Amino acid sequence: MSMRILNALIIGVLVLAASYVYKIKFESTQRVERAAKLRTEIRREQDTIAVLRAKLAQLEAPGRVQALAQRHLPLQPLTPQQFRSFDHLPERPPETVAPLPDRIGDLIDEGVGRVPVTSPMGGR
Amino acid sequence: MLARNPETRYQRWQRFVRGLVYGRDVNREVKAKARIGLAILAFATVYLVIAGRLVLFALVHDEHSARRGSGQDAVATARPDILDRRGKILATDIKGPSLYGEPRKIIDVDEAVELLTAVLPDLDANEVRERLSSKRGFVWLKREITPQQQRDIHRLGIPGIGFLTENRRIYPNGPVVSHALGFVNIDNQGIAGIEKWIDTRGLADLHLAGFATDRLQKPVEMSIDLRVQHAMREELAAAREKFKAKAAAGIVSDVRTGEIVAMVSEPDFDPNNPKEANDPTRINRLTTGVFEMGSTFKALTLAMALDSGKAGLNTTYDARTSLRYGRFNINDTHPLHRFITLSEVFTYSSNIGAARVALSMGVDAHKAFLKKLGQLDRLRTELPESAEPIVPKRWGELNTITIAFGHGLSVAPLQAVMGINAVVNGGYLVPPTFIKRSQDEAMKLATKVVSTATSDRMRYLMRLNAEKGTARKADVPGYYIGGKTGTAEKVVNGRYSKKQVLNSFTAILPADDPRYLVLIMLDEPQPLPETHGFITSGWNAVPAGGKVIERIAPLLGVAPRFDLPPADQLILGLTSSIKANR
Repeated sequence: MSMRILNALIIGVLVLAASYVYKIKFESTQRVERAAKLRTEIRREQDTIAVLRAKLAQLEAPGRVQALAQRHLPLQPLTPQQFRSFDHLPERPPETVAPLPDRIGDLIDEGVGRVPVTSPMGGR
Repeated sequence: MLARNPETRYQRWQRFVRGLVYGRDVNREVKAKARIGLAILAFATVYLVIAGRLVLFALVHDEHSARRGSGQDAVATARPDILDRRGKILATDIKGPSLYGEPRKIIDVDEAVELLTAVLPDLDANEVRERLSSKRGFVWLKREITPQQQRDIHRLGIPGIGFLTENRRIYPNGPVVSHALGFVNIDNQGIAGIEKWIDTRGLADLHLAGFATDRLQKPVEMSIDLRVQHAMREELAAAREKFKAKAAAGIVSDVRTGEIVAMVSEPDFDPNNPKEANDPTRINRLTTGVFEMGSTFKALTLAMALDSGKAGLNTTYDARTSLRYGRFNINDTHPLHRFITLSEVFTYSSNIGAARVALSMGVDAHKAFLKKLGQLDRLRTELPESAEPIVPKRWGELNTITIAFGHGLSVAPLQAVMGINAVVNGGYLVPPTFIKRSQDEAMKLATKVVSTATSDRMRYLMRLNAEKGTARKADVPGYYIGGKTGTAEKVVNGRYSKKQVLNSFTAILPADDPRYLVLIMLDEPQPLPETHGFITSGWNAVPAGGKVIERIAPLLGVAPRFDLPPADQLILGLTSSIKANR
């Protein structure tokens, strides 16, 4: 009798174990498939990125940019005289005329406290 | 009797059969047990095998499916990207389909050929037919087809025709960086330039082992600056056209690190179309050609004299008459007919003076000095293409006389650049490189070849040449250029020709503390009305060099400075060692 109960128990455990293993196996298969899919997608993205990078490099090739600039922009080549370091920047000339009242600036100063900006109106 | 007879017959029959099968005197009970045991064992083995196979299937299943996914993948090697020093792409891989056939699976070869040539008109029908009729398992039909063609062929539904995704090398800038980059063959293996160097560094072995399909390889950073390269190439092409020269070439080199920032040899080729590279006129004149560099070599001659300590800037040399040696007569283009100082030898580019300077040092010292500066040995860089300098076998006084002003010794221009770099950068000989390099790395490779004081005085001479000498036309204001011109007469039919010359101009900027050296070469420039019929370097290579420098200096980050004092104050005033010597 006791033998029979034991057998029944073992069968029950076996069935449970089998179904559990089946579940794990099923899930792992699904995940493997998903991983493979993602890997393919990543590879495809990488390939697209490579193509786009090559295209970008072609578009920003100096020769092409230069041809476009010459056709569409009225720019001249830089001369050495056009480069200046900050040391050579002249001092801002002193204000000869009292600045015009700057209402908007005053409003900002009132609200936020003094803001160190030079308004375009400030000069003259 | 009648009833027993059939039974006994049956039993007899039975006994007879059993006797045949089991033998006559066998205990069948024991036999049956053993047999059942055997059957159990057999079934158990079968089930064990099945169970074992199941476990194996479960274990290797993943690997199997992954392999199925990559079966379509790249056959041609994936190569690392090549970037310029600022990270712009010079060469990259993109994937594209290639067409193959499996002749054993093809049913109707003629139909397949007909359909394929309809979609791919440039396909050679006879060749395809021949390939598809072969007994091989796999044949390439066309490498690198477009996705549109792939779709069209796919729609034809020909059995035994398939596609493989392959890596394909793309050079987005076309011919701009041709010689330094090199190119690859159809299997994406490097066969020239830096591409070949990448392969020799181990990529080829990786490819053989089948690991080189990964595109995540570390990119190779070259020392080339694409913008500088482009600007230089354009100016050289313009100069070549203007002076109707056979070829034009130029190098921009960082004097401190030995990096080659730009290298152009016009005419060049498009690495996307490597067939052009086989044309012998398109060789890289800077590394694979050797030339007599002409007066440029005087810089090395004078550096030798200054470095020996036996001569100073004001040492005088006899240039009253032309120099006779045996049946040879050495002349100057602008004879001075007096004693001239060492500085004047340089600024007037006096052949007589340079010859006398070299003679005063002696043949052995001259040879040893050039050897020390790497002018007598083959210069090897990353580029596989290099040329051996042509050194006279027996080096006598006459050789020293001519080599003093750059004739009788042919070197690769890149080699001369290395030598002059060493003379102006404080005395360090740094092997040139096409791969990005830091100054610390460069100093580890450097050897001190001339003293700092010599280097200072050479820079002074170079600058003086731009203020008063032959390089005036290149003195772009603001960059404090120093330079040396060279006009080498080419040997035609065994004689030096006055009409066919190889002109060069070597410039350093800024001369007081050089950062870059620019070498410009024009091969056989023709006289123009605006050059007053002259073909010397000062009339063509120098102005071309000036234009190049004006364009590339801002790109190189050399800040223009104005109102600088002349060379004798700025450069010589800097070093007390020279003042003491004078």
